[in-house]
Parts: sequence; C-alpha cells; structure tokens
Amino acid sequence: MIKSAPRTAAEAVVALKKLSSEVPVAAVVLGSGVSVLDKLLDPLVLPYQDLFGMAPGVAGHSGTLTVGRIAEGGPLVAVLRGRFHLYEGYDWPTVTLATRAIVEWGVPNLLLTNAAGGLNLDFSVGDLMVLTGYRDHLNPQLKETGLLPAIAKPATDCRNKLTEKLLSVGEVLAITQSSAESRPLRQGVYAGLLGPTYETMAEIEMLRKLKADAVGMSTVPEMLCCDGTNTTACAVSVITNVWRPDEAMGGHEEVLEASKNASKRLDRLFRAMLAELG
Amino acid sequence: MKLRNAKRIDFTGTCPEFDFFEKFSDATIDLIRNKEKAEVVIVVDRAFGFAASHLKDNAAEPHLISDHLNLTGDNPLVGPNNPIGERFPVVNNIYLSAADTIDQEETWTMGNPLSKLRTGIAAGVKYGAVPGPAELDLLYSMGAHFYNWNTVPTMIIAAHAGLKVLALAVPEGGVLPPQVLMAINR
Repeated sequence: MIKSAPRTAAEAVVALKKLSSEVPVAAVVLGSGVSVLDKLLDPLVLPYQDLFGMAPGVAGHSGTLTVGRIAEGGPLVAVLRGRFHLYEGYDWPTVTLATRAIVEWGVPNLLLTNAAGGLNLDFSVGDLMVLTGYRDHLNPQLKETGLLPAIAKPATDCRNKLTEKLLSVGEVLAITQSSAESRPLRQGVYAGLLGPTYETMAEIEMLRKLKADAVGMSTVPEMLCCDGTNTTACAVSVITNVWRPDEAMGGHEEVLEASKNASKRLDRLFRAMLAELG
Repeated sequence: MKLRNAKRIDFTGTCPEFDFFEKFSDATIDLIRNKEKAEVVIVVDRAFGFAASHLKDNAAEPHLISDHLNLTGDNPLVGPNNPIGERFPVVNNIYLSAADTIDQEETWTMGNPLSKLRTGIAAGVKYGAVPGPAELDLLYSMGAHFYNWNTVPTMIIAAHAGLKVLALAVPEGGVLPPQVLMAINR
C-alpha cells in the first residue's frame, strides 16, 4: 500500500517560517548513520512529526530538523536528520516533501548525503564520494516499463557550481590536514535503486558496466526535485562497503558503522564549505 | 541439507503481479517458514530470449539460475517490513547450485542430473514485457542470459524469509528432463 504524508510542502514552510524568520543559506540532509553538524549555535529543533506530520521509520534516522549557525556570526543552516524512502512504501510526493519544502522556503543550497555501497574497486570503506552524476533506477514511472529504459540511458550529469565548490574545498582540506585525518575526495556516479534488498552480484556487475561508482536507495528523487528551481543541490555518498566477489556482503549494521566513522571527515568538509557559502 | 522424505508444499500457477504478493507474503511465508520449517524454495519458471551462447543446436534448454538482475522496476518488499526478515535483505548466495543441492548422496546416485543443466543469469523483467532485439542485446550486454517474469519477485520474498532457492528456467515449449524432475522429487 502506498503511503502519503499528511502535510503539504506549503504547510511545512509555514512551520519553518515560524521556527526561523531568517532563511538558511543551506540545508543539509543526512542519510543512514551519517552524523555531521551536531553542535550548531542557538539551535532550533523541530521534529519531523510536527513538520511533516510523520516521522521516518528506518534505523539511523532521528527525524528532526535543526536550524542554527555553524559558528558565531556564521551562516545559518538547516540540518535534516532522516528522509522518507520509496522502499518504505511512500509515494513520490512524500519522498520529495522535505526537498520541496526547502525549495519553497527559498533555501539556495542543498547538501545531500547518503550511505552507499562502493562499486568502484578503487574505493575504500569510509571514502566520501561527491556525485558528479546519477542514474535513476528508482523512479515510480519505471514500474510501468521495468528498468530497461533506465539502463539504456546514460547517467545524468549533476555537476554544478556547488559541486565544484565542494570539490575545491575538499582539495584544500586534503592539503592542510594531517595525513592520518585526510583522504582525497572521490568523485563519481551514484546509482539510485529502489531497494530494500541489497544488490545481487550480477546487479553489481551490471552497474559497474554502466559506469556507476556507488549504489544506494535515495538522493535521486531530491536531486530531480531541485531541477529547474532556485535551489542548487549537490550530494556526497559515504562509502560503507565495497562489493567484491570474494568478500561476504554486510547488512545495515555495517552501513551504520561505516557511516559513523566517515562522519568526522564529512563534518569538517561541510563546515568548511558552509563557511564559504556564508 | 536433507530434503528426502521431507514435507513439501506445492504451489502451482503463476504470480502475475507483485501486488498480489501482499496476500502471498504473510500467511504463506509464515506457513512455509515457521510451521513447516522449510529451508528451500524450488522455483520452476518459464524463461525467454535465451542468448546465443546459451543455446544448444540453436534451441533453448532448461537452465539452473545462478543469479539475477531485478529489472522489473519494482520490489515485492516495498512497504512496511514484515518482521519475518531483515529490512534490508542481503540476497546474494541465495541460489542453490547443483553441487549444493538437496540430498546430494541421492542425487549423485542418479548421476546428479541437476549438474548437467547449464547455469545462467536471469533478468527479471516487468510481468508480460517482451523485450525486442535491441533490448535483448542490452540484457545480454548487462550479463543476463535469458529473461523471465516470476522468478525474481519469488526469490526476493524467499530470501527475505531466510530461504534458499533452487531456481529452474524452462524455455517456452520445453519441459524439464525426467531425470531432473526425479532429482527434484528426491
């Protein structure tokens, strides 16, 4: 059964304007187990239940929106902890509800995060991959046709000024940080699959042939939702495992653990990035 | 694993649309998994569009399925999770090979006919879809050897319930060899 959110984006925007009269310079959406921007100054917190009329139901998502500053006099940001997924049975309007509210609120920048399986064999667990493209294998329209049209299409290029800024900030951080803390940012194509099953080895090999570098179950709806709006979106995948034929595949606990470990580097990256946006 | 003389539940017929799995999932899987303690689901499904590399004398023949591509655009586990399985099931290593089938001693005495079947990767496409030549070439280039409609959703539900799957793909107009049927029955 398809589930819909009880609130509209316009209703959510009313609640957001009550929470903060100032529009944040950026919104950040955190995926499974990704924990960054924990300590904002003067935080204002709104549970998703009050904002959208419902809370996320997947482990690793707290289901709150926090508005605050990253430093004294620094830019105001909104951090959304958790999202609604198609695999949970939510419809497309619900899965994109938070993004549409951010767009309607007038937030100019959206930073998306997700936990993703690594397809690129050069990647390591805990790497951060900036999305330069994505493949849409989860759009509900594909229920009508199957995935054949989707795999016949090339990846969508999603590079923009925000992506370039994120990569340049990452380059500077890689130079200035100690080698123990630093890892170069990865770039690549994210394949968004419906889930909730993890991929078979045959599917992993197919996605590699399609030049995808990471695979997950989110983010693509939000990227699509920002197209043609005044909100520029970029996304970072936390690589939680790398699919190899000779290694057993982990489950959701492994995803959460790897996300936690990479979160420190992502936190530094986002703070540096947001400081530049402010 | 020993299945000889084990209780069996036979399902005959097709499962034409994912939506109908809603009524297939709770009661039936509960029956299979909890009450009868099943370990294996045997799926026999029609398969179509065999790659030239998987034809014998230009004719398709039954295959053991070793893996799949879910290209249906859907997944029968979408929705609230049935607590019988994990929210995010790992579906690798679910398909049984001839080597790890069922009561090996018995099947080996018959010459292990399952091992004489070729193995292949199934592309699960939307129910009723018939890929054209260009789409078939695309499927082959993605690693599939044939396509079918029902195996993939059935397999996903079985994997979610912790079951292994022995999946056989039978080409249109074909039948399983008697030796294979005997091996399965044993």
